[in-house]
Amino acid sequence: MQITQTFLIILIAFFAYMHSYVGSTMHNRPIVVAPLVGLVLGDLETGIKLGATLELVFMGAFPIGASNPPDFVAGSIIASAYVITTGQDFTNAVLLAVPIATLVLLIDNVQMTVLLTWASHIADKFALKGDIKGVERTQIIAGIGNKIILACVVGLGFYLGVPFIEKILAYIPDYVSHGLDVAAGIIPAIGFAMLARMMVTKKMVPFLLLGFLLAAYMEITVVGIALMGVVVVLIYLNFTNESKEVVEDDNEF
Amino acid sequence: MTTNSKKAITISPDSQITKKDFYSCFFRSLTLDSSWNYERMQNLAYAYMMAPIIRRLYTDEKDRAEALQRHLEFMSVTPHICTLLVGISGAMEEENARNDEFDAASINAVKSSLMGPMAGVGDSFFWGTLKVIAAGVAISLSNQGNIMGPIVFLLIINVPHFVLRYICLDKGFQLGAKFFNDLGNSGIISKITTAASILGLMVIGGMAASNIYFELPIQIGSGDFAEPLQGYIDQIMPAFFPAMFFLIMYWLLGKKVKTTTILIGLIAVCILLAAMGVV
Repeated sequence: MQITQTFLIILIAFFAYMHSYVGSTMHNRPIVVAPLVGLVLGDLETGIKLGATLELVFMGAFPIGASNPPDFVAGSIIASAYVITTGQDFTNAVLLAVPIATLVLLIDNVQMTVLLTWASHIADKFALKGDIKGVERTQIIAGIGNKIILACVVGLGFYLGVPFIEKILAYIPDYVSHGLDVAAGIIPAIGFAMLARMMVTKKMVPFLLLGFLLAAYMEITVVGIALMGVVVVLIYLNFTNESKEVVEDDNEF
Repeated sequence: MTTNSKKAITISPDSQITKKDFYSCFFRSLTLDSSWNYERMQNLAYAYMMAPIIRRLYTDEKDRAEALQRHLEFMSVTPHICTLLVGISGAMEEENARNDEFDAASINAVKSSLMGPMAGVGDSFFWGTLKVIAAGVAISLSNQGNIMGPIVFLLIINVPHFVLRYICLDKGFQLGAKFFNDLGNSGIISKITTAASILGLMVIGGMAASNIYFELPIQIGSGDFAEPLQGYIDQIMPAFFPAMFFLIMYWLLGKKVKTTTILIGLIAVCILLAAMGVV
C-alpha cells in the first residue's frame, strides 16, 4: 500500500515539477497539487481545502529573475499527504509545508548551481561544433532530468518522513503549536509585501491603499476589487493621456 | 511583401521560415524555465527554442555554431511572453542570413535590451496581477471544498497565457528588427506597466486586508465587565493588525532581509509570545 502510494506521490511530484517544461502553466501551485494528493489518497475534498490553505501560505513564492522561492511543490505534497493520511489539523500542514519547502530549496539550489550550469556548459561544447542536435538533446535531458530527481526526493520524503515527522510532532508543547498558529495567520503578509515591493513606486502607493481600505472597511471581495481596479486603470490612463497630449502639443508648436 | 513565394507554408511571403518552424518554436518555448541555472539562467532552453530557425536559415556549420553560441548567452525573461523575443530574434537571424552587411551582434543587443522591460511587464502581469487574481478567486472556491477552485485557477491563468504566447510569437516575427523602435516611441511598455501595477496593487491591498489574520486576546476591564481590546481597535480601523504586519514585512524586505530569515524570525517571535501568554 505504502509502495503504491509512494509511487503515485512521485508521479504527482513529477507532473507538478514538469510545469516549467510545458509552459509555466502554474499547475505546480499548492491549490492544484494538494487536491491531486487528496485524489490519490482518497480524500479529494480535504485536498481541495488544503490547497486553499497552502496557496495562501505560499502566496509570495514565485520565481522572479534570480530569486528562487522555497520548493512549495515538495512542501505541499508531503504536508498534504501527511495531514490527509493522519487526519491532523490543517495548521499542521502549514507547519510542515514551510520547513520542508525550505529544506528542498537547498536541493533545488544544488541542481541550479551545479547540475544545470554543467548542462549549459555541455551545450556550449556542442554549439562550438555547430551541432544543433547535441544542444537540443542537452536541453531535453537536463530539462526533464532535474524534474525526475526532484520527484524522487519528494517520494523519499513521503516514504521516510511522515512517520518520522509524526514522532517529532508528538513532543511539541502546546505553546509552540499555538505560536505557530498565530505565525501562520501572519505569514501571508510576507508574500503580499514581496509582491508589493515588486510593483510599488511613490505614484502607485494610493492604489495599494485603495484596495486595502475597500476590503477592510467595505468588505468587498477580491474579484470586486479587481473589477474596480479595471475601472481605476481606465480612468488613470484617460487622465494621463490627456495631460500628455497637451504637453506634446506644446513641444511641437 | 509583393512577391509570391513558391511555397505557401512560410510565415510570410519573403521568409524562409516555415509554418512548421513557427509551431516548433511555439512548443519549444514552453520549456523556457525547465533548465534554469544560476549562471546564464534560461540560456539552454532559449537556444533549444531557436534551433529550428537556425537549422532552417544556416547550412554552413560555422554559421550554425555562431548562431547557437549567440543564443546560449544569458537570458532572463518571463516565460509566458518569451515568444516575443524568439520572434524578434528569429526575424533578425533571417535578416542576418540574407544580408552580409547585417551586424550579428545587434541580435543579442536587441535581446538584452528587451528582456529587462519585458520581464518587468511580464513578471508583474503573470506572477503579480494574474496569479493573484486567480488565487483569490480559486481560494474562495476551494475553501468550500469546491473542485472548481483549482480548475478556475488554471483557466484564469492559462487562457490569457496561451493566447498571449501565440500572439507574441506572431507579432515578434512580423515586427522583427524594427519592433524595438516602434515600441519605444509609442510608450506602450510604460502604459502596460502602469496598468498592470495599478490593478495588481489594488488586488494585493484587498487580499492583504482579508487574508492576514491576527487578533489580540487581551481583555480590558475585569470580571464581568471585561471586553476584548480587539473590539475597540476594530471600531477605529478594521484590519489594523494586517496593515501593521504588511508594513513591517514591507520595511524588512526593503532592508534586504531575506524572506527565510523573516519567516524563521516571525515563527520564533510568535512562539516566544505564545509561551509568555501574550498572543
